[in-house]
Amino acid sequence: MNPHYAYLYDDFLSDRAYERVLANIETRLSVLGIQGRVARLAIFRSARELVEELVRDGAGTIVVVGNDHTMEKIMWFCPDLAVTIGYIPVCEPSQIGAMLGLPQGEAACNVLAARRIEAVDVGTIDDRYFLTEVRMERTKAAVDIEGRYRLSPRRAGTVIIRNLWSDKTGQAEVDARDGLLDVIIRPLTEAPTPTRWPLAAPMRLEPETALTMLHGAIRSDEPVDVLVDGHRVNGFTFQLGILPRKLKIITGRGKRMDPLLAGSTTPTLPLPESPRTAIVSRAHQALRRVRTILDGWRNWYTR
Amino acid sequence: MFSSSQKHVEPGSVVELSRPPLSSPSAGATVIARGVKVEGDFASQGDVVIEGEVHGKITTGGTLTVGPEAVIKADLVADEALISGRIEGNVTVKKQLVLHATAHVRGDITVERAMVEAGAVVEGNVHIGSGHKEAAAKPGQKASAASSSGTA
Repeated sequence: MNPHYAYLYDDFLSDRAYERVLANIETRLSVLGIQGRVARLAIFRSARELVEELVRDGAGTIVVVGNDHTMEKIMWFCPDLAVTIGYIPVCEPSQIGAMLGLPQGEAACNVLAARRIEAVDVGTIDDRYFLTEVRMERTKAAVDIEGRYRLSPRRAGTVIIRNLWSDKTGQAEVDARDGLLDVIIRPLTEAPTPTRWPLAAPMRLEPETALTMLHGAIRSDEPVDVLVDGHRVNGFTFQLGILPRKLKIITGRGKRMDPLLAGSTTPTLPLPESPRTAIVSRAHQALRRVRTILDGWRNWYTR
Repeated sequence: MFSSSQKHVEPGSVVELSRPPLSSPSAGATVIARGVKVEGDFASQGDVVIEGEVHGKITTGGTLTVGPEAVIKADLVADEALISGRIEGNVTVKKQLVLHATAHVRGDITVERAMVEAGAVVEGNVHIGSGHKEAAAKPGQKASAASSSGTA
């Protein structure tokens, strides 16, 4: 057992469906000589206390085993600890894993063993951290950008502050190493007008507003629900900031953390895909094709 | 988008084309979309596209594009500008300004070069050319190379 490594399993992994994949992962870790102490998240157990105990026991690398939601469960406090974060995605959603160049299942163990460490930015909202995004749905809340100007949806809309984000394929859309937060505002669309059967109502897609900022604040006259890495908090005012390169995280060679510019191609190595991932990615491709055809019809219809 | 509208310039419009017309803003432009309101001093180094509502001041070192549905109650300072919407405030453009037929500016315009389509409305003083800079440096002299007020 390697005392430098500790593994944090999400509670859903106690399901029998994951027995085999976990056994394979543990065998592979053992072969690579990086197996370590295992702790399991549970509903009535504090994730923070669990991780702090692992660190006290000498773990310098905490490996999250689960999916992107597991990562989000520990990101609100992890940047405070002097640890490197590893990640073994075992099921969807694993967009963060794909972006970091981590394949699903036991193949991620090889990446862990290689220990390519990348420092990424961490966002702050009041006194907690976030890795991916802060989101408010159907809100009129304003975002104060660096105290210079204020941005708000005129009627209502979705307000998102992002530090790290990728598309469904794991290609980064927001750079988590630029020291900036991305602010995105999507105003609510007009209600669709009654349309001619059988074509679906052409939804009027409003373009989104996208800016970057170093720090800012969310201000609302009414109490607003804010989803911070998927966790709900409520309040009137929230201070936002970013800590550049605060979190050390293990990445693979196929990481896709540089957002693509329009028209450019992916200059990265392909990820070794598990059969399940391959099926999902083929399904995504098929859906994209169908969406392209539908968009074409919609454009023709609304012309 | 704007290149097609430039084909319909009618006789009587004031056209000054000493250099090629402005291109569309780059793909990396900052977009203030329709349905979004900005209050305060908005500053950017790159291209800016405004389709929403702005109150305050806008300063950009690139091309400023004001869409036909944009409502701006702000002073604008830009390197180049393409205006199709409604502006209440002074417009200062360092290089070239294009006022499209749907543009309505209530305020003074100061610009190096300008192209104004028929139908564009300007309620204020228009200073075109580099003369206004020298005039500003010497108070008491005539203000600008060209000055007009009214509807084009």
